[in-house]
Amino acid sequence: MASIDTNRNAAQSTETLTNIRALAAQSLAPLIRHQGSLKTLLPGALARCPERDRALLQQLCYGVMRYHPQLSLLSRKLLKKPFASKDYDLLVLLWSGLYQLEHMRIAPHAAISETVAGARVLGKEWATGLLNAVLRRYQREHETLKAALAEKPAFRYNHPDWFVQKLQHNWPEHWQQILNENNASAPMTLRVNARQHSRERYLQQLHDAGIEAHACQFAAEGIQLAQPCDVGTLPGFADGTVSVQDEAAQLSAELLALQPDQRLLDACAAPGGKLCHALEQQPDLEAIAIELEQSRAGRIRDNLARLQLDAEVKIADAALQDWWDGRPFERILVDAPCSATGVIRRNPDICFLRKGEDIATLSDIQLAVLSNCWQMLAPGGRLVYATCSIFPQENERLIARFLKQVGDASHQPIVADWGIERPLGRQLMPQPDGHDGFYYCVLTKNMCSDEKHVF
Amino acid sequence: MAIRTILEFPDPRLRTVAEPVATVDDDVRTLIDDMFETMYDASGIGLAATQINVHQRIVTMDLSEENNQPMVFINPDVEVLDEQPHSYQEGCLSVPGFYEEVTRPQQVRIRALNRDGEAFELVADELLAVCIQHEIDHLDGKLFVDHISPLKRNRIRSKLEKKHKQEAAHR
Repeated sequence: MASIDTNRNAAQSTETLTNIRALAAQSLAPLIRHQGSLKTLLPGALARCPERDRALLQQLCYGVMRYHPQLSLLSRKLLKKPFASKDYDLLVLLWSGLYQLEHMRIAPHAAISETVAGARVLGKEWATGLLNAVLRRYQREHETLKAALAEKPAFRYNHPDWFVQKLQHNWPEHWQQILNENNASAPMTLRVNARQHSRERYLQQLHDAGIEAHACQFAAEGIQLAQPCDVGTLPGFADGTVSVQDEAAQLSAELLALQPDQRLLDACAAPGGKLCHALEQQPDLEAIAIELEQSRAGRIRDNLARLQLDAEVKIADAALQDWWDGRPFERILVDAPCSATGVIRRNPDICFLRKGEDIATLSDIQLAVLSNCWQMLAPGGRLVYATCSIFPQENERLIARFLKQVGDASHQPIVADWGIERPLGRQLMPQPDGHDGFYYCVLTKNMCSDEKHVF
Repeated sequence: MAIRTILEFPDPRLRTVAEPVATVDDDVRTLIDDMFETMYDASGIGLAATQINVHQRIVTMDLSEENNQPMVFINPDVEVLDEQPHSYQEGCLSVPGFYEEVTRPQQVRIRALNRDGEAFELVADELLAVCIQHEIDHLDGKLFVDHISPLKRNRIRSKLEKKHKQEAAHR
């Protein structure tokens, strides 16, 4: 997934905490200060969590971020004065209390007492009375409080105002569906390794293992599980029989139309899902994957090793050519860094971490990456541009900007039964119990850039 | 060998449907040599006999930059292997100076006779696929401008008619 993590987590305590509310609060407080994301902070938190409570910790962290727009409006109404930034752990603790009362099947008295006790664990005894009073007031007055906020779009749709406005403007017919899907949870989807197994055979194996699943509608190797599960329980996972990958992300390999012996570049490759899929389909490729971050490049190598596939992984910037040997590529996949607004249901902190003005900055990066990769594409070659964004600014309008700059690109309309056809490329919206939000566009490089052919 | 005159749109003779070649003999081979000479002279990469007002199903082609890979297709026929639409900015010796995006199937199988009259087949994609479909259109009396909007086609027609009038006046 090509999201940008702007911050790394700060140094964290490693001591185990048995009060899971306190652990969630302590772990998410840096995120509220814009230091890190769920993806970067959660592993540390899980390591400090007793094994039996890991599911609860995960649910609390994801739940608080998923309902952040509503929870923060509620807490603003409930608190006389806001918490100072050093007490953001208490703010998250309060949100987790409200979340438990509103969305979890935990007895309210237990939810409140555990949450209040969390303040003591955090060494902030002084706040126990405040938290107790605020949570009990919410318990008594939640109907009135919610009614008072119901008119605010941020509360009603549980998304930041800028996001709702931008979506209404860009997708007048789809915005409500997108907002609904963002508030739901996403299914777990697998990709069967075509070199090892047919989809039908693997479905049978899942059935035999008692795992309920069905074939995906659009992706030929895709299988959707009825319930998410630990990958360790999937038959053959360690041996590379399957990978976890959303159905929309599985559509890239076919669009690349790979032929044996081609040179393939996967720019911004981590974690390598689309690269591995391409190699599963066409093993006779000279594949080069580049990734800016060392740690994320490690994940590409892990995936290649598990699936027994071969590609050269380089730590490099897709907007530069300092790593390139000058030999053009016949195929290029540009899975561009993006707002990840198509995968909010999997990464509910995206809405909190992004600001409206980020989209313009991101689209400049996307244009730089695409323009740079275009120069490395062989005449007659094919480039697939992909994002997991739902904003046209990063997608069809970005491609339009690019086509104005170059004279040797032809847009190839994608004929498919998935997504929505756009003037340039195809847009996928997050689907109920289906694929994520995604965008694809196929461009080919004309045979001669300065001289046109007549025949 | 001789350089022949290339017909230009909207000349009605370009609308003639060409006849299959019955026997590949020396006359046909002389015609092929003329076609190559005409094509190379005009800096084209493909030519259909129709374009020089010979209505037999013969196509010459050379996609190389050095003009050293001549290909001949006699009585060519294509079968679509991949219907995925592929767009290309096409130009044509019979529509000089105009280039328009035309969308055709991405991959085809070509069946034809070579200059010795032997049958061969070839899977074509990219430029070769574009070019052979363009040339077979010529043999069927069609032009790439038939694949674009009537508005664009009429604009090209009137510009070329104007050019032809000016050329006639200076002759």
